Amino acid sequence: MSAPSRTVTLTETLVTPGRKPSRRGLKSERPKWHLTAVAIVVVGMFLFPLYWLVSTSFKSPEQLFTKPPTWVPVPVDVSNYATAVFDNPIMMRALGNSVIISIGATLMTLLLAAPAAYALARLRLRWTALLLLPFLVAQLLPAINVALPMFTLFTQWGLVNSYAGLILANTVGTLPFAVIVLRPFYLTIPKELEEAAAVDGATRFQAFFRIVLPLVRPGLVTVAVFAFVMTWGEFVFGLTLTTQREMQPVTVTLNSFIGLYGTQWGPLMAASTIVAIPLIIVFVIFQRYITSGLAAGSVKD
Amino acid sequence: MILDTRTDPRVAGSSPAARGARSRRRRRLDAFGRYSFVLPAVIFLIVFMLYPLVYTFNLSLFDVNAGNFLTGGAPFVGLENYAQFLTSPNFLPSLIITLVFTVGSLVFQHSIGFMFALFFNRGFPLSGLLRALMLVVWVMPAVVSASLWRWIFSGSYGLFNAFLGLLGIPSTEPWLVNPNTALIAVIIANIWVGIPFHMMLLFAGLQGVPIQLYEAASIDGASAWQRFWRITVPMMRPVIVIALLLGFVHTFKVFDLIYVMTAGGPAGATNVLSIEVYKLSFEYFRFGDGAAAANVLLIIPLLLSVLYLWLRRREESTL
Repeated sequence: MSAPSRTVTLTETLVTPGRKPSRRGLKSERPKWHLTAVAIVVVGMFLFPLYWLVSTSFKSPEQLFTKPPTWVPVPVDVSNYATAVFDNPIMMRALGNSVIISIGATLMTLLLAAPAAYALARLRLRWTALLLLPFLVAQLLPAINVALPMFTLFTQWGLVNSYAGLILANTVGTLPFAVIVLRPFYLTIPKELEEAAAVDGATRFQAFFRIVLPLVRPGLVTVAVFAFVMTWGEFVFGLTLTTQREMQPVTVTLNSFIGLYGTQWGPLMAASTIVAIPLIIVFVIFQRYITSGLAAGSVKD
Repeated sequence: MILDTRTDPRVAGSSPAARGARSRRRRRLDAFGRYSFVLPAVIFLIVFMLYPLVYTFNLSLFDVNAGNFLTGGAPFVGLENYAQFLTSPNFLPSLIITLVFTVGSLVFQHSIGFMFALFFNRGFPLSGLLRALMLVVWVMPAVVSASLWRWIFSGSYGLFNAFLGLLGIPSTEPWLVNPNTALIAVIIANIWVGIPFHMMLLFAGLQGVPIQLYEAASIDGASAWQRFWRITVPMMRPVIVIALLLGFVHTFKVFDLIYVMTAGGPAGATNVLSIEVYKLSFEYFRFGDGAAAANVLLIIPLLLSVLYLWLRRREESTL
């Protein structure tokens, strides 16, 4: 294997795991609280649409259609959530579908990407560059280009309207990204560790599972978080590869709500908020991993 | 290499000839062991990505439609589907709308993202937290963002018109219903979605610009504007190029946000190529035509992918 410095890519310099961002501002002795104030206002404006999403979901019809708009929903009306989600078996079923599909695709992505990224980072393969190519190109493909032939093929293979079909399709979207993001994590692990394991008589597989994998846990978490986020929000495969309402992921059900509810924005925003909540929870817990993963540059659109 | 047979203690001690044969077999086994790590993923992509793409090309040469989709036996039509799509009244408007959407989104996503990155790079209390908060927008499923922006852009009671009212521009325009304003509205929504992506990439890039350069420039009396154009931009060129390139490819193929906001309407005003492909295949069930259109849609991202790979390569060799 060539010297690690030569295989360092832009991506890897951006996400070198564990790298602390260097503190800018050597001159500043005093913390710049005035900039913090500006930032709070600007970021607040940027995030205001999200506040609008959540606050609308708590509004009664009378509070919805006012001029000027009702900025704060007082009193809070939670009936939208009952109407759109909790008393709505279609929505509850769709949420369950999305949980199954997202967890399935996340596990499948880890299972395939963890060894593949290891091989592409570490093992002397004759065609490393060539093997990396499909992973790089794959993440730039429009989803509809895969969904269209997949629908005709899955019709023949009996995979339309199945969890398996949706898990496989989503993994096509997440796997290339996972391999690209994971590879740099393996590059940071000293090769001597595996060599020592080999001297102690461990096979390559034992060395991989017992020694290498535990060390790239942050990378695995990053990939898992991304696979989950991408699959939960995925729409094109859900739309094209299901024809029965019972098998739709929640994003597709939410879209059909829009036609159904028309301008009943309260229930619609309640349903949208519920769809967003799992990702907000994941984000709050794993924010650190998302930041480093996004810097890897390729990601969802 | 990790398991070198010559130093493997288990091989030592046998006769040279036996060692040679065994080491050859071991090497072959070893090669198999190495490839067995990457093979499952490669096979997966061949079956579920490469094969479907090749299959699309095959589909595009046949007149596959609702009548013969399940029964089979669609007639071979050669490149007729391509000719039909490229000369259809929808193609050129669709291409132009896609390009306007992509370039319009990208210019603002990138420049606003850059401003945020530069601002956060000044380092102040809570900057990390506030920067991270912006990413919540990027994590949102496109369908959620789209349904939210439908509400924001609605006519009499929409937030966007209320916002314009605060600026002294009273409006009750139903932005997504009017063919003249729908594309602008969809672009605005997409700019919002894309800003965090550009901000994060550019912020990461800014971390790599040595602060000494700025200090030296300040001593030499360079203004902030000069420092930006003479130091930041040249130093950041690789990051800027990659962000624009990836941004272009990802924006060019956007489907979900537009489909949920307008479904390509009103009157085709937001009918980007990916929606045209979807409609041909899944609304009119003309899979042959849809496949041809899908391959046309693929050309620009594919060309840019080649450029991206070439740039990555150059990046690798310079580092």
